[in-house]
Amino acid sequence: MTYWIGIIISLAAGFLVIRRMAARLDPVLQFFLALGLGLGIDGTCAFYVHILFNQFNRFIPVGLVLASAVVLFFIKPFSMPRFKLTKQHAWGLLGLIVLAVPLAVSAHYYPLGGWDAWSCWNLKAKFIFLGHENWKDMLSPQFWRSNTQYPLLWPLINVWFWDLSGRFDQAVPMLNSVVIALLTAGVLLLGLMELTGQLAAGLLAVAVIMALPIDITLYTSQYSDSLLGLYLLSAFLCLLLSEKCKEPKLKILSLIFLGLMSFAKDEGMVASVIAALLIFWHQRKDKKNLKAFITAFCLAALPTLLFKLFFAPKNEAFVNGLLSAQKPTTWPRLETIAVYPWFEFISAKWAGFWLLAAGGILLAGKKLWCQALGVIGLTLILYLGVVLAYYAVNTYFEIVWWLSTTLSRILFALLPTIVLWIAAGLKDA
Amino acid sequence: MDAFSTNLTTSKKQGILRRNLKITLLVALGLIAAFDIFTAYARAVFQIQDRTSIPLHSLGFQFIGLENVFKDIHTVGYYTNKDLKQPLAVAQFEQAQYMLVPTVLDLNHTQWRWDIFDCTSPQIALEAIKRLGLVPMKAHNGIILAYNPKGIE
Repeated sequence: MTYWIGIIISLAAGFLVIRRMAARLDPVLQFFLALGLGLGIDGTCAFYVHILFNQFNRFIPVGLVLASAVVLFFIKPFSMPRFKLTKQHAWGLLGLIVLAVPLAVSAHYYPLGGWDAWSCWNLKAKFIFLGHENWKDMLSPQFWRSNTQYPLLWPLINVWFWDLSGRFDQAVPMLNSVVIALLTAGVLLLGLMELTGQLAAGLLAVAVIMALPIDITLYTSQYSDSLLGLYLLSAFLCLLLSEKCKEPKLKILSLIFLGLMSFAKDEGMVASVIAALLIFWHQRKDKKNLKAFITAFCLAALPTLLFKLFFAPKNEAFVNGLLSAQKPTTWPRLETIAVYPWFEFISAKWAGFWLLAAGGILLAGKKLWCQALGVIGLTLILYLGVVLAYYAVNTYFEIVWWLSTTLSRILFALLPTIVLWIAAGLKDA
Repeated sequence: MDAFSTNLTTSKKQGILRRNLKITLLVALGLIAAFDIFTAYARAVFQIQDRTSIPLHSLGFQFIGLENVFKDIHTVGYYTNKDLKQPLAVAQFEQAQYMLVPTVLDLNHTQWRWDIFDCTSPQIALEAIKRLGLVPMKAHNGIILAYNPKGIE
């Protein structure tokens, strides 16, 4: 019960921000974007209170989110959106319910999530919530397996919910993992409907990724990758809708999502910097709004900067292969990195998704590389380039094992954005 | 036929080809979506019915209850003779750590007041406890909790 109160508070805080930037969008899409943003606000408040100011009164982070919702409610005259349930909405919501069942079953039988949930993400959340002032124990070198240098948004979102209820509850990360999966599905479906106007194709596209068994496993694994995927999708959807509706405020929202994404994971930080720089470059002629875009991104990414500057220890699982004599970057390693992804793409676990995506990319052609769609395409290519370069440079892990355990997660986080990108390109073509 | 009408026919053909390719893509999308949904539901039914397999995440449940013993204790030792290159042994240790947060488990150090012994057999654990001069206090599922009278609090 308390969990759902937390969801309502997060939704209210997120919705009151979204309403001021995206009032022209479909109200149902606003709700989906709002909850994603609200969860980010929860995590950010928990960061400032627990991590930066070292305060462990559980009422402060919850109170901050509530207070900001109240202030936002009274700061300007507020108009409730005129919500009308159309036939399309009804079919869309029914589709989401169909997709929710396997997710819920998987989450129920997988309560502690995957390996990295209990050895990294939820471990950190428990340390912050139960360890109070001793939370920094989790940053000590003996926890090197837990990726101590990773940002803390996902753990802090869970901590915020435990703050609200006053106790540790394993159900919180489990439910949050399902909520994030459904938010991703909802944002993608309603975003595709808004961009292309086609419900059936949108539903099929969402089903292709949300019902994919490997995706169900990764969504219910309680990893931060799903959060990264949600924020990347939300950011690029807002960017595309901003161009479509000629509404610059949606670009501010897009950059807020990118800023939040940077606090989800190191990979999110890389992707957010690439995407933000490309958006700034794309908007370089819009001098009037450029400052607002940069400010929005920097404010949303401030927790990442503060964490990386003052708290994050060095990565214990890093060997620079370009300089190391013992573990150098070898030619066979580079060959493996060049070849392995192609075998991953045709692997049965993706059920033909990448072949379909390749077909879509070929069919959409040049449209995918123009304007805002070009920004998305370039971000995806540069981000994957950086990831592959990191696999080559960091020789700490044996490469085949490392690729086999992590590459699918990297691709999983990109799937919703890739679907959005191709669908929008096909519509234009 | 002049150049203009030739171009028109070519672009018309390209348009039809593009439309056909789009329809093919949509059909493939539909087939893959149907296959994914079928597989997802089949897997869900299997998960509900399967009672035989022991999931990896249940390894840590044998440490439940120890958090009450370790209240206000910052660090305890965790001794194991298992090969830590084996994923199962690492998983067991990491799940123990997850269950016992905020107490820190110090892997293969036994200078602490309380030490957990997780060995390949209880006999090996008891021998190690005796050798190190500790006192076995409690045993549960092959995991032994030992007290070190000279240990650090």
